[in-house]
Amino acid sequence: MVELPVPARWAVRLAAVAYVFLLVGWPVITLAQRAFADGFAGFHAAMSDPDVTHALLVTVEISLWAVVINTVFGVGMALLLVRYEFPGRRVLSALVDLPMSMSPVVIGLALMLVYSGRYGWFGPTLEAHGLVVIFNSPGMVMATCFVALPLVVREVVPVLEEVGDDQEQAARSLGANAVQTLRRITLPAIKWAVVYGVVLSLARSLGEFGALKIVSGNLTGRTQTAPLVVEQKYDNFAQNEAYAVAFVLVAISVLCILVVSLLRPQEESTS
Amino acid sequence: MSIEIRGVHKRFGDFVALEDVNVSLPTGQLTALLGPSGGGKSTLLRIIAGLEKADSGTVGIEGTDATRMSPQKRNVGFVFQHYAVFKHMTVAKNVAFGLEIRRRPKDEVRARVDELLALVHLSQFADRLPSQLSGGQRQRMALARALAVQPKVLLLDEPFGALDAKVRKELRDWLRRLHDEVPVTTVFVTHDQEEAMEVADEIVVINDGRIEQVGTPDSLYDAPANDFVMSFLGEVTQLGDLRLRPHDIHISRSPDLVGATAADILRLTRVGFEVRLVAGTEDGQEVSVVTTRTHARSLGLEEGELVWLTPSSGAATVPAMERLVRAELAG
Repeated sequence: MVELPVPARWAVRLAAVAYVFLLVGWPVITLAQRAFADGFAGFHAAMSDPDVTHALLVTVEISLWAVVINTVFGVGMALLLVRYEFPGRRVLSALVDLPMSMSPVVIGLALMLVYSGRYGWFGPTLEAHGLVVIFNSPGMVMATCFVALPLVVREVVPVLEEVGDDQEQAARSLGANAVQTLRRITLPAIKWAVVYGVVLSLARSLGEFGALKIVSGNLTGRTQTAPLVVEQKYDNFAQNEAYAVAFVLVAISVLCILVVSLLRPQEESTS
Repeated sequence: MSIEIRGVHKRFGDFVALEDVNVSLPTGQLTALLGPSGGGKSTLLRIIAGLEKADSGTVGIEGTDATRMSPQKRNVGFVFQHYAVFKHMTVAKNVAFGLEIRRRPKDEVRARVDELLALVHLSQFADRLPSQLSGGQRQRMALARALAVQPKVLLLDEPFGALDAKVRKELRDWLRRLHDEVPVTTVFVTHDQEEAMEVADEIVVINDGRIEQVGTPDSLYDAPANDFVMSFLGEVTQLGDLRLRPHDIHISRSPDLVGATAADILRLTRVGFEVRLVAGTEDGQEVSVVTTRTHARSLGLEEGELVWLTPSSGAATVPAMERLVRAELAG
């Protein structure tokens, strides 16, 4: 590290803090202020509206499903990318990152093109077998998985690379089979990366808006999620309720990240 | 014979790691696979362990054909250069791993772990995490872990390579004593000829994916099959048409021996009790000679003096031609 002179060091720190504060801190604080402007009135109004509570439940449900699926496939895909050489590995790695660079609205439209019951490429066949994807939970879970796909993979891949496969080989030579090695050696080694990936996925899933707005059809009381409710309330001049629901969403995300960042360093210092 | 390697070939892309390797490693002995980095010795060890698959050829362990067996079925203990400790488990848990996988009763596991930790002098560290141990201690733990499952063969891949010189030396002596106590067939890979000569009963010299020579440390040193083995096992110099060790050259101040070569002392360095000198012959050859301080003093050796050089009687020599002999000495 190059030592900066003291004034420069302070200037850099100040710039960094100011940047994050103006971009993230201030808007979030203002949001919280607005949410509590009339005490808990906004919350009362929001929570006594069955459409809002339903939307919150839908959000939680969709997010949990998406996180579970993302975790299983994310860990599997990370193992595949790090531990195996196969043709198309680089293509797969690039595809995993694609959701990061695609607008969620576009993701929603793309899913519609394939799974829509009316004009989709695959949708009518599925609907004939009784599986309605679009404007329904399966499509919403898919859209959420899509946008949150890289989060688990990109957390786990560097840790797997750093840990190396020595421990796994040692376990194999001591008589462990593939499943025992995964459960006893690999998973404990990447535990914290997985937890962090899960939390990021959860936070991302809870807040997903664009893709879900397209795929869910935004049907109030049925497929409407919490971020969609926020928009609707805001547009309908029920701004206090909008801020209240928004605050709940932010609070859950902040809480998740806080809990993990408190847990993680402790774990690392003792290991 | 405990380990039988027959006709093993292995390539990584265009790189030939092993080429038609045939070797038998005897039961109950401590064998070193010695050679320069990239020579194929680690690959051979990993093929024996099943961590790598040979392109062709067979591997037999204790009379059974293990060629297509997965590593967990081979019952071999493997020790890695960088220890490969299970970081999230205590020392005792690490050692118990193989036994727990085999679902041995709890009492038996505990007794065996205690016994092994005592054997590697780590009893007081049973409940620590590997990160709280030094490098040497971690490697001893890894050894105990490998021995816990009573393997038919113990394989060590550059086991002391990551340790500093002093610990390395201690562990080397300790491994030798351990092997005398627990005489399991042991194969270890090293690029350090001193380590191989000191510890092993038998040395297999591997270079460029081929076996150069197999033999006891003494026979390799005294009768190297070729130039490569000779120069790998110790310093080599050239006198006339012969390649021989610098300490196997007799120095005299007069041409009293038949075939003596005249040379001027160009450089003379003293290191402790040893005197190293470089002498130039009339043909322009530079010959290194090592002698003792006492001998050099009694002869009055100085830079610029004329001396007569002859190979000492009984010196190990090979003709100075690159790879004249590539003896097939396996078996």
